[in-house]
Amino acid sequence: MTAAVREAIVLPAALLTVLLAGSIRMAQTTVFSPPSVFALVLGLLVIRVIVQSGALAPERLLANSRSAVGNLNGVAIALSLWLASAQVVAVLIPESGLPRIAFAVFLLILLINTAAAAPDRVRLLRSLAVSFGALFLLKFVVLRELSAPGISGLKRVLQAFLEGVTLGSLLQPPSHVVTSYLALLSLVLFLVAVFLLPARGGDRGHALERRPETTDIRPT
Amino acid sequence: MWAGLRNDGTIRAGGLVFTVLYAGLIGWLFTRQPQTVAQITGGLASTIGAYSIDQQSLADGLRFFRNDQFVEARMAFARADPAIRDARTQFYIAYSYYRQGWGRLYHDDALYGEGLAAIDRAIALAPGGRLVVDDENLQMHTGEELKAEFEAGRRREPSDFNPMRVFRERK
Repeated sequence: MTAAVREAIVLPAALLTVLLAGSIRMAQTTVFSPPSVFALVLGLLVIRVIVQSGALAPERLLANSRSAVGNLNGVAIALSLWLASAQVVAVLIPESGLPRIAFAVFLLILLINTAAAAPDRVRLLRSLAVSFGALFLLKFVVLRELSAPGISGLKRVLQAFLEGVTLGSLLQPPSHVVTSYLALLSLVLFLVAVFLLPARGGDRGHALERRPETTDIRPT
Repeated sequence: MWAGLRNDGTIRAGGLVFTVLYAGLIGWLFTRQPQTVAQITGGLASTIGAYSIDQQSLADGLRFFRNDQFVEARMAFARADPAIRDARTQFYIAYSYYRQGWGRLYHDDALYGEGLAAIDRAIALAPGGRLVVDDENLQMHTGEELKAEFEAGRRREPSDFNPMRVFRERK
């Protein structure tokens, strides 16, 4: 894949698809939900750690040495990356109640912590995959199962008990299963897009290989 | 041609156009919030002036409407304008809610609520918000008249208890 195809077509298409797929909320009606202001702020933090880790080299998107169209492609990627990051964050935050606040605060702390840890590209990709994957499972498996309308009498009793104990702040509004698949698609596509970003150093061939440990310590 | 396509500048320019169009589509979806595939395709077609309603279904709807078969009329109108892009059809849908919900002693608030939503849609779709329907079978011809009727019907006021209201006629 040439750099032009990747920068002009593949990356914007992938990132905008993340934005679109992540925005679809299917329940009784279908809603295309843009990322909230808080998600946009967290999206900026995601970009910060991506740039800090070297997964994205801004100078390879915008530079005097690039053509005008090439720089416009760079701007398009930067904007798409911001919106896609915000949308992925928005997808992972539950719709309402206590989980919404808890997940939002957790994501904020997680991103600040990641920025403080200053991981390299490989570690950042792993960290994003693990933390976003865990949040996805919590929201779309655990919380969704807890909130799904009960079929058996026992489940309905347990739900009523849970709702009473938590004052209705835990259970989420029901959503169609397609929403979960679209959320997973947007999450995976986002990680692939981050992997494909023009990285510092520019060598993609060894993208997921660990850097060799430095053992070259000689006694003086 | 293929040599041209392989050129970096062409790829980059083409990609930029694609990105702008794709982003525009997503922005349109966020703004319009279409609920069905028909609404998406109809809405996109209307932005380039290629959307048209099904005249046969509209005629069926009007026939039902004039026979006071309002549920059937709305089904036909919905078939005529599946993308909800035609102000005139939405006006008739709103009018069907008015006529069905109208009563000498009381009005059906739920139907009037649906009608109000429909007439708001119709006014929003009309160029400049001015909606006039020339139909001699109707007594209200503008979006404003119909909207005012819905709003008055949903208000609670002393005139609701005026016994003379039983002599009022449906418009």
